[in-house]
Amino acid sequence: MSTVMRLEDISLEYPVPRQYRKEDVLPSGVRNISLDIQQGEVLGIVGRNGSGKSTLLKIMAGVFPPDNGIISSKGSVSLLAGVGVGFHKELTGRENAYLYGALMGRTQQQIDELIGEIQDFAELKHHFDRPIRTYSSGMKSRLGISVATAFRPDLLLIDEVLGVGDASFRKKSEDRVKQLIQDSGTVVIVSHSMGLLSSICTRIALVENGNVVSIGPPQDTLKAYSELLKIE
Amino acid sequence: MSQELHEQELVPLWGKRSLHRLPFIVASDLLRSRHLLRLLVKRDLNARYRRAYLGYAWAVLEPLLLAIVYTFIFTILVGSSDPMYPVKIIIGIIGWTLFARSLTTSAKSLSSSINLFQFARVPKTVFATSGTLTNALLAVISLTSILPFYFIHDLPVSLNLVLILFWMFVLTFTGWGLGLLIAPISCKIPDVLNVVSFLVRAGFFLSPVMWTYDMFSNRFGEGWHAIVAHLNPTVIPITGMRDALLGESTTIPTYAYVMCFGFALGSYILGTIVFERKAHQAVVNV
Repeated sequence: MSTVMRLEDISLEYPVPRQYRKEDVLPSGVRNISLDIQQGEVLGIVGRNGSGKSTLLKIMAGVFPPDNGIISSKGSVSLLAGVGVGFHKELTGRENAYLYGALMGRTQQQIDELIGEIQDFAELKHHFDRPIRTYSSGMKSRLGISVATAFRPDLLLIDEVLGVGDASFRKKSEDRVKQLIQDSGTVVIVSHSMGLLSSICTRIALVENGNVVSIGPPQDTLKAYSELLKIE
Repeated sequence: MSQELHEQELVPLWGKRSLHRLPFIVASDLLRSRHLLRLLVKRDLNARYRRAYLGYAWAVLEPLLLAIVYTFIFTILVGSSDPMYPVKIIIGIIGWTLFARSLTTSAKSLSSSINLFQFARVPKTVFATSGTLTNALLAVISLTSILPFYFIHDLPVSLNLVLILFWMFVLTFTGWGLGLLIAPISCKIPDVLNVVSFLVRAGFFLSPVMWTYDMFSNRFGEGWHAIVAHLNPTVIPITGMRDALLGESTTIPTYAYVMCFGFALGSYILGTIVFERKAHQAVVNV
């Protein structure tokens, strides 16, 4: 198994707004995180709200540069963060899918080949050619998951979006992610759903106050997380 | 695919890039991202006009209607005797709007496109450039508002007309470069955008939109007033657009051309260096 991403002593602190600087509040972000992500693994990330999980994913995606440390990767990386993030409400589902594909570095021809699959998976039927502003939040999330997984990045980062939609679509999304993993894709997933994480993850990391305080087999980390929540 | 990936080496995401290479790196990034640029321009155009009943006609109507208003003010109320004055105003409006929009769109690009940065690792200059290209395209479309005056005044048709596009390119390039310079600063100090907004409004009157180069020269001569006026990067390009359209040849000193092109090139070099060095970190502030 080869390493697809390596984080070495990564730190990032969000700037504290001027009006809050005098208060005795620790700046949020992540601190001194070192981590190797292996090809084909599903790494889950758990932690309380504000612990630094989403920041860590944004650093992995190359959205935010770390203040310190080195992050290296190989292959394509895509971050699925939030329902419909990046979709333009005036564009149709199809146009948004093409734009997303181009953002992923895909050519027109590659997107043409995948567009049917995206439409079928999202179950949008004729709505696919209507502006996104006419979509319900469930429809937007179906389109989001459909396009993000269809382009099959080498490393897919998912931030709390697999729990969207109705029960049947949630099952379908999980199956799609499992399929992606079988195709040698690598997934890092942030979720509060312990059931989902324990069923699909090979390892789970617990993030607390911007640090990875525990990493290992799903059951061990989830147990540590449960204890942390009880202490709270 | 997995075998290919297996054989690849890990590459640092944020490797150091030498300062003098940054302007070339930006140009090469944009060339590589041309497919994405095309889609983003299409998206911007659709978003702007899809729901309007008159659609793209607004790109022509807007400068035309403004020209009618200004013509009314300056020919009827003020009493200008130049029959070509309305055409000069339209050109001034098109040129100034192009520069101002190129500047503001690229200056705001980091904060306005933050949701798109999150999908994947894409050069951030693409978002600053797509908005600028959209405005440039709309400015070219808006040139059709001059057509009625062409027939009314029997204006000359010659190869010189191509120069209009050249000067429009200079305006776009300068505004875009300045916007790249401002974008990361505005993420850290949002007040900068308010200053830009004020300067754009003030610049409308300080640029040759409602006045011409000749009007200025006749009034102030070629002393220090002229040197100060040439610090405005829109003076020469807008005058060049007017000359190309009307077949005129305004006497402009050589140093003014040097200042104009120097400003354009300087904005690009400084803008790309500051943007590439600071934009990634600045996004954390948004």
